[in-house]
Amino acid sequence: MSDVPLQAAGRRPAFFDDPGLDQLVSIVLELAGELWVVRERLYALEAVAADQGLALRQAIEAWKPSAEQQAELADMRRRMLEEMFRTLNQEHRPVDPATADVARAD
Amino acid sequence: MPVELSHDLMVAFPRDTLARQDFVSSLRGYILNDMAAGMKARYEAQVRPAFERREGRPPRTQDEVHAAMRRDLYFRYYSAVRYNAQEMVWRSVIPSVASALPELEHKLETLDGRAGGSLTLDPDLEIPENVAGIDVHLMPGGYAPSDAPTAGAVYDNGLAVFSAGLMGANLDDIGLSMSNYVKHRFPEFRPARILDCGSTVGHNATAWAMTYPQAEVHAIDVSAALVRYGHGRAESLGVPVHFHQMDATALDFPDNSFDVVFSSMFLHELSVKDIRKFFAEARRVLRPGGLLLNMELPPNQALDPYDQFYLDWDCYYNKEPFYRAFRDQDPQALIEAGGFRPEDYVQLTTPQFSYMPEAAYAEAVNAPPAIGQDTGRLSSAVHWFGFGAWKAAEPTAA
Repeated sequence: MSDVPLQAAGRRPAFFDDPGLDQLVSIVLELAGELWVVRERLYALEAVAADQGLALRQAIEAWKPSAEQQAELADMRRRMLEEMFRTLNQEHRPVDPATADVARAD
Repeated sequence: MPVELSHDLMVAFPRDTLARQDFVSSLRGYILNDMAAGMKARYEAQVRPAFERREGRPPRTQDEVHAAMRRDLYFRYYSAVRYNAQEMVWRSVIPSVASALPELEHKLETLDGRAGGSLTLDPDLEIPENVAGIDVHLMPGGYAPSDAPTAGAVYDNGLAVFSAGLMGANLDDIGLSMSNYVKHRFPEFRPARILDCGSTVGHNATAWAMTYPQAEVHAIDVSAALVRYGHGRAESLGVPVHFHQMDATALDFPDNSFDVVFSSMFLHELSVKDIRKFFAEARRVLRPGGLLLNMELPPNQALDPYDQFYLDWDCYYNKEPFYRAFRDQDPQALIEAGGFRPEDYVQLTTPQFSYMPEAAYAEAVNAPPAIGQDTGRLSSAVHWFGFGAWKAAEPTAA
């Protein structure tokens, strides 16, 4: 490895009145890039599986989660949303005993 | 989509990195085509009418357009996204390039001598401040951080992502378009020696060598990193080019030694003072009857205030400090200041050679130059702008 810097020298410009918004654009674009990398990998996974004689794509399209799996997925989504709105909730929402219990159980 | 480089110096990127590059490339394509169109529409529909209501007239200068647009949310998003995309271009190639450095050095050794080109370094050359002092194009580390070929590899691989498939198979469309313009427009002109100044990795010098295979092609750049990498790149492509670490404002070539002096996207990296020096040097090394030709962005005087503002975005936000000062010049006046005669001035616009049949291109070069909103502006409708001059065949009578 060498010591090649990853960012140009100097200050980054601010386009918005609130510098937080400039940061947010960077964050969202990085996330979008990562999301694309994952989407491409899933696409490749199906394509490579097909090459190996495994019709993963068709099987996934035909797949129906069981009741148990549906509950697990719903729980995963809820936890993801909780993580997403973690700081908003911590700072701006009155403590909800029910939610607080769930969060502790995690 | 990024161009997949087809020479031996190309870095083997992991699959996830290639996917990231695809994303950045598509993002840039979206910014330069779709968002650019959206921003222009927003200007026409809202920003300009608001300015006219306030001032009782349309904006007269790009500064007025810029000031009005700075307050516009669409411009802010366009700019923030474009700035980040530029950073992401470099970030998508640098870690892999850095890992590949030892291998790159080894490849440079093995490629030396394959095509018959050469490499001449000048360790005493002082790197000018416009290269040493700033990370132009936001390229981290700049173009001449060391003699290691890193900057060449970062630039070559980064440009492949940056250009979003709009700059030809080997990133050589500018060189191919300009050299084929000369070939088809001036068929009797048969250059024997061609010089590409500020050549970076020689992606346009190889194009000139392919268009004029009988010619001896030289390429100069102040950065050892770039000419070292460029030499390996050209050798790998099987195209002989003679690379020199040299400053275009002080050419180490004899008088009357070239038939073509070429530059591409180079003048806007120089101060106006250095452009004048370079033109005087170009005239000195050109043989009588030789041609100075510069591919560049079109001058501001040929564009309306919005398009001036649009192109000069790079000057304000992409670390291109001399970009606007150059574009504010009258190209012909610059040429004449270099000692060329007004009647020998040449100006042209050309479609992209890489994306049309050669016969159609041969026809297109006879069309009169036309500067518009897609001139020199990287988009799917781009056509290139060039200007320069013939060196008078006979010395003018004193």
